[in-house]
Amino acid sequence: MNKATKKELGIGVFFALLSIFYIVASRSISTFTPFGNRGLDSRSIPAMIGWLSMALSVTYIVTTLISARRQLASQQNSLESTAEVCDPDNVICIEDPSGAKRVKVLEVLPTKLLLSLIFLFFYFFFYQRAGFILSSVGYLIAQSFLLTEKDKRKRWALFLILFSIVSTLIIYFVFTKYFTLFLPKGILG
Amino acid sequence: MLQMLLQGFGTVFTAPINILMIVIGTTVGIVFGALPGLTTVAGLSMFLPITYAMASGTGLSMLTAIYIGGMSGGLISAILLNIPGTPSSIATCFDGSPMARRGEAGKALGLAVFASVLGTIISLVLMIVLSPTLANLTIKFGPWEYFSVTVFALTLIASLTGKSIIKGLLSALFGMMFATVGLSPIDSAKRYTFGSLQLTSGFNLLAVLVGLYAISEVLNTAGTEQHDAEIRDYKMRGLGFGLSDLKGQGFNIIRSALIGLGIGILPGIGGSTSNIIAYSIAKTSSKYPEKFGTGIPDGIIASETSNNASIGGAMIPLLTLGIPGDGATAILLGGFMLHGMQPGPLLFQTNGATVYQIFASMILATLVMALVMYIGMRGIVKILKVPANILLPLIVILCSIGAFALNNRVFDMWGLILFGVIGLAMSKAGVPAPPFILGFILESEFETNLRRGLEYANGNFFEVFNRPISATFLVLAVVSLAATLYKQYRPRKVVTEEV
Repeated sequence: MNKATKKELGIGVFFALLSIFYIVASRSISTFTPFGNRGLDSRSIPAMIGWLSMALSVTYIVTTLISARRQLASQQNSLESTAEVCDPDNVICIEDPSGAKRVKVLEVLPTKLLLSLIFLFFYFFFYQRAGFILSSVGYLIAQSFLLTEKDKRKRWALFLILFSIVSTLIIYFVFTKYFTLFLPKGILG
Repeated sequence: MLQMLLQGFGTVFTAPINILMIVIGTTVGIVFGALPGLTTVAGLSMFLPITYAMASGTGLSMLTAIYIGGMSGGLISAILLNIPGTPSSIATCFDGSPMARRGEAGKALGLAVFASVLGTIISLVLMIVLSPTLANLTIKFGPWEYFSVTVFALTLIASLTGKSIIKGLLSALFGMMFATVGLSPIDSAKRYTFGSLQLTSGFNLLAVLVGLYAISEVLNTAGTEQHDAEIRDYKMRGLGFGLSDLKGQGFNIIRSALIGLGIGILPGIGGSTSNIIAYSIAKTSSKYPEKFGTGIPDGIIASETSNNASIGGAMIPLLTLGIPGDGATAILLGGFMLHGMQPGPLLFQTNGATVYQIFASMILATLVMALVMYIGMRGIVKILKVPANILLPLIVILCSIGAFALNNRVFDMWGLILFGVIGLAMSKAGVPAPPFILGFILESEFETNLRRGLEYANGNFFEVFNRPISATFLVLAVVSLAATLYKQYRPRKVVTEEV
């Protein structure tokens, strides 16, 4: 089973599990039908969505398995060797005893993506506690440093810090004074 | 109608703030459209909260100006960078970039802007003429008609977006699942709140839209390596092209505009599809198809006329039925609701003056778009050079202000992360996002009307087939599903070659 098939199966399994959870949770929805049930109650549509989603997930898993089997069969029948194209930077080749070359893709951890999520989490966590200005300045500095190439960080440092402070202050005053929106002052208030 | 439109122009021109917001909106839209990696929808999501404090007409005019600017801005990067700023400008690259490589970038830009203006104006005129008529028709709709239109929209979007119809349908159902969180329509029963008071009010549409479109885009860009592309130099005098370049293009313009309008009306597929279809039709029906892709005006005109014409098309179902045609109109729907207006057949009666003000603003925004593009092109090209490390964090800050300002609670901001991660995961898994959004938006409409219809019919579902309009839409839904299923799973001819 190749990587693409595993991925598609994973999608089907995720939706199937989600549907089961959704159907089970729908049982705790209270219903109110004082004049008798002449149609649907508040539980009916969620149950319908859940069961439909379950049926489609199972169909998706089955069709993925069938097409994977067909693909495998056609590969076995084919005399020509097949190769998967992948990012050359993340690939190592292993010499197989049979003489064929096997390719293994090295998984690269999306560090910048994960760190961006963590920064976002902390930004929202401190949004009300520390206030808009402090949390935004902190977030802007952290995120913009993260997105700057490593070798350029030193050169950009002063600009990024000043830019973060000035742009946050401008945004704060424009939104609170001109657009009359409430933004949390936090510990500065 | 004409009188109302003139009144709309009157309202726009009597308050300078209206004109200022249209100019700002159009410019912002062009910049967002031009920057590869950022889309019109992200721009709309970001600027939606800014319209809170404005009068409804002014705020919505600004949003529609961003929409028009964004749809056109993509042509700049398509021609000068050979990277479409938005999916709507993919086909513009095919002939725009070769023309720029030949040293005719100014001519390509000029022609593309001209075609964009024509496409937008043609579609806006048709939108202004058709919308009130359709609204008069849909005003007679009852719960069964609304229910079947909702089913039709959901199945159509699931069939037309993405490669797999099952994934499309699962995405729509996934969106519907999130929409059921909170209080149920009609009897206000608590659903999926798990004892949380915050969840009782459900997930806010704007938090879902901003998270799914803007935050996921930012996260996606943060997770991928950015490479600086070379921007081609250009010289543009006057409009950038001569009358001889437009010779024989009349039919191409009208055909492409109609393709854009028609595709725009269908839910879920807008400019991103229409530009490719219009380009391929222009190529196949041309007397010199071999010249397409070498840098000829025909290709640029077909692509840019059709993608901009989808603006008017996508606005028609939004205004007359309250069903958004694409991601951008989904945000506009949020904008209407934010300003206390419910798009649908009654909109023309309850907020007629504001609607015509928006129509007038859209025409003005189209002309402003042309002016900004012709006069301010150098400035926009400079913005293309702004690095992502400065731009992306700022977008997050502005989006979070919008989410917080919804109800002054941090809960909606957590929604941004949730839907941002969902959006990112969906894009990596190849699950299309438009059905999710439409499912989220239409679930309430679907449930309310189905339950009401069944109440009226004493639980008899077959009543839906006794009403011609609802029966027609249900049949259309089944046909669109069956056609897509046939296309995906039909037995393919196996070609064997003997060696």
